[in-house]
Amino acid sequence: MAAVASCGSGAGSTGSAVATASKSNVTSFQRRGPRASGTNDSGPRLVSIAGTRPSVRNGQLLVSTGLPALDQLLGGGLAIGTVLLIEEDKYNIYSPLLFKCFLAEGIVNGHTLLVASAKEDPANILQELPAPLLDDNSKKEFDEDVYNHKTPESNIKMKIAWRYQLLPKMEIGPVSSRFGHYYDASKRIPQELIEASNWHGFFLPEKISSTLKVEPCSLTPGYIKLLQFIQNIISEEGFDGSNPQKKQRNVLRIGIQNLGSPLWGDDICCAENGSNSHSLTKFLYVLRGLLRTSLSACIITMPTHLIQNKAIIARVTNLSDIVIGLESFIGSERETNPLYKDYHGLIHIRQIPRLNNLICDESDVKDLAFKLKRKLFTIERLHLPPDLSDTVSRSSKQDLAESTKRLGPGCGMMAGGKKHLDF
Amino acid sequence: MLDSLLSLGGLVLLRDSVEWEGRSLLKALVKKSALCGEQVHILGCEVSEEEFREGFDSDINNRLVYHDFFRDPLNWSKTEEALPGGPLGALRAICKRTDPGPVTIALDSLSWLLLHLPCTTLCQALHAVSHQDSCPGDSSPVGKVSVLGLLHEELHGPGPVGALSSLAQTEVTLGGTKGQASAHILCRRPRQRPTDQTQWFSILPDFSLDLQEGPSVESQPCSDPHIPPVDPTTHLTFNLHLSKKEREARDSLILPFQFSSEKQQALLRPRPGQATSHIFYEPDAYDDLDQEDPDDDLDI
Repeated sequence: MAAVASCGSGAGSTGSAVATASKSNVTSFQRRGPRASGTNDSGPRLVSIAGTRPSVRNGQLLVSTGLPALDQLLGGGLAIGTVLLIEEDKYNIYSPLLFKCFLAEGIVNGHTLLVASAKEDPANILQELPAPLLDDNSKKEFDEDVYNHKTPESNIKMKIAWRYQLLPKMEIGPVSSRFGHYYDASKRIPQELIEASNWHGFFLPEKISSTLKVEPCSLTPGYIKLLQFIQNIISEEGFDGSNPQKKQRNVLRIGIQNLGSPLWGDDICCAENGSNSHSLTKFLYVLRGLLRTSLSACIITMPTHLIQNKAIIARVTNLSDIVIGLESFIGSERETNPLYKDYHGLIHIRQIPRLNNLICDESDVKDLAFKLKRKLFTIERLHLPPDLSDTVSRSSKQDLAESTKRLGPGCGMMAGGKKHLDF
Repeated sequence: MLDSLLSLGGLVLLRDSVEWEGRSLLKALVKKSALCGEQVHILGCEVSEEEFREGFDSDINNRLVYHDFFRDPLNWSKTEEALPGGPLGALRAICKRTDPGPVTIALDSLSWLLLHLPCTTLCQALHAVSHQDSCPGDSSPVGKVSVLGLLHEELHGPGPVGALSSLAQTEVTLGGTKGQASAHILCRRPRQRPTDQTQWFSILPDFSLDLQEGPSVESQPCSDPHIPPVDPTTHLTFNLHLSKKEREARDSLILPFQFSSEKQQALLRPRPGQATSHIFYEPDAYDDLDQEDPDDDLDI
C-alpha cells in the first residue's frame, strides 16, 4: 500500500510481504512435481490468513465486516489497515449490533480481538455476541425465511410494473464459509468459541485513575492510554512484522465503542469549543498510523448526533476511511410514514476510501434501509416513489447535482451524476 | 409508570423548567423510596437542608441521609464534618458502602453540579455510580442503585443535556397544560426500543404522588357550524370508484407485454391472412401522386 511505504522501511517490508501474499493468492497456478534439488523453498510461501481474501479490484487484503450485505456495499469487505466508523443512531440500538457482528466474525475466523469501551466491560460485550449460523441447516432456514418474506408481497403488488418484481432486493454475492457469515441476533455465541479465542479488553474506568491531571493541548488521558495499549498489543503479538519467527500470521480486529462520548473524558459532546477539541482528531490520526503499519482493522462507533461542533464531524469523517451512518426511525416522524413501514432505519454510506486507486468502489445503490428481524439484520434497497410534484422537471437535476457534490470529495465523482448535467 | 420509576435503577433524569418545577416531584419520589425501606441519600447543593426537609414527616426525615453542600460548598470553614472530595467524593463514598440493599441517591441538583464540575467528570462519576450493580459474577451482593437527578434544562445548552440524557436510563420531562402537570417519561432499556409515555399527575401537600387522567379534552368549536364541508366527489361526470364487476374485469385483463400461453399459441399458429395482405389507400384532394423526384429540377 502506498501509505505503508511512506511509513518506514520496517513497515514497507510488511506491506510488500502482504502484497506478495495477496498476489500469490490470486493465481491458481501451482507448481506440481518435485522441486529442483538445489533450491530449498526459495519461492515465496503461499501465506493465507484465515478469514481474509484479496480484493479483486485493488489488490488490498480484505476482512469481512460480519454482515455480507455490508461487505457487498463496501466493495468486498473492510481492507486491512483501515478504519470503519459507524455513526450511531440516536438511541444506540442498532450500532452495537454491527459492532458485535464485526467482533463475532473475528472469533469465528480465529482473529485476535481487542475490545475497548468506556461504558461496558469488554468481557460482558463478548458474552453478548450473536451466534453464527454455521451449518447448512441454518443456512437453509435463513433462505426460506427470506423467501417466505418475499413471496406474499410480490404476489399482490405489481401488475403493470411487473419487471421490477424480478429485480433482486439486494444483490448478495455467494457467501463462502471462509469469508462472511450470517449471525443470529437472538442467540448468544457459544461459550467455548469465546474461550478458544484470543482477546484483549480495555475498560477505561479500570485503567485510569480519576485524579490524573490533564495537560492542555494534548490528548485526553483516556485516549493516550488506549493508544499505548493498542501499540503494546501490536508489537507484542507481532502484527507489525516485528516478530519474524512467527509462523502463522493473524489479523488483529480492534473495536472501540462510543468513542468521543463524555465517558472517555472527551468534551466534544458537551461543549462547542471545549478545551481539548482536537483530542479526538489527533487520536484518529495516530490510530490510523498504527493500523497502516500492522495487520489490523478497526471498527469505531461514535455518537455523532451528540457532537456539538459540526466541524469536528467533518474532520473525523476525513480522518476515517469508511464512514457509515445509521438513522433509526424511532421517535422521528418517519416511524409512521407508510413508506418506511417495513424498515427500522436508513443506512447512509457517507464515505468509501480510495486505496491505491483513482476511483473508489461504490455501489450504485444509494437508498438503503435496514431492518432487524427477530434473528437477522438485513440491509435492503429502499424504493422511493417518483416525485410527482410540479417542480419535478426543474429541481430533479439540481438535486442530483447537489448529491454528487456531497458525495464527491469522499468518494470520487460518479459517472451517473454526470449523465444528468447536459449542456 | 411514574411510581415505578425507581424500580428500574440507573440514572433517572428529571428535566424541569421555570413553568413546571421538579423539586416537588423529586421530594415525592424520595418520600416513596424512603417509605419502601430503601436507603436514601440526598446531596443537597441548591437549597438549604431545612428547606428540603420541609414538608416531610419526622420518620421520613430520620431515614434520609443528607449531605449538605449548600451551606459551605467550597469548604471554607474546614470543620471535621466536611466531606472530602466534594460532591463527587460523597458519591463515590456512597458507592463503596458494604451493606447490601437498594439505595436511592437524589441529586439536588444536577444543574448545580454541571455548573461547578466539568461535564465529562460528572458523566464518568454518574456512570460509575449507576452501573455498579450491573456486573455479573460479582461476589458481593450490592443492591440496586438509583440516582435521581434534577436538571433545569433552561440553564444548559444542548450539549450537556444531550450527554446526560444519553447516559440516563429514564428521562422524565415535566410539562403540562392549564394548571395540570404532566410527565413525559422516556425509558431506555439497553438493547431494546425506548418506550415513552405521558402521565398526568399532581403532588399533594404531604408530597405524595397522585396520578391522574389527563385534562378533559374540550371539543373544539366548529369554525363555521352552518355550512357543512363540501364533498368534491359528488356530482362528478366520471367514475372515481370501480364497481365489483368492473374490478374483476380489470383484474382478469391480460397486459400487453405479459407473455402467456395463449399468446404463445397465437404466435406459433400460422396466421391465415399472412400470404395475402393488402393495403387499401384512398388518395384525397391534396395528395400528389406524381412519381417524379422534385429534386431533379435543381441545377447544382
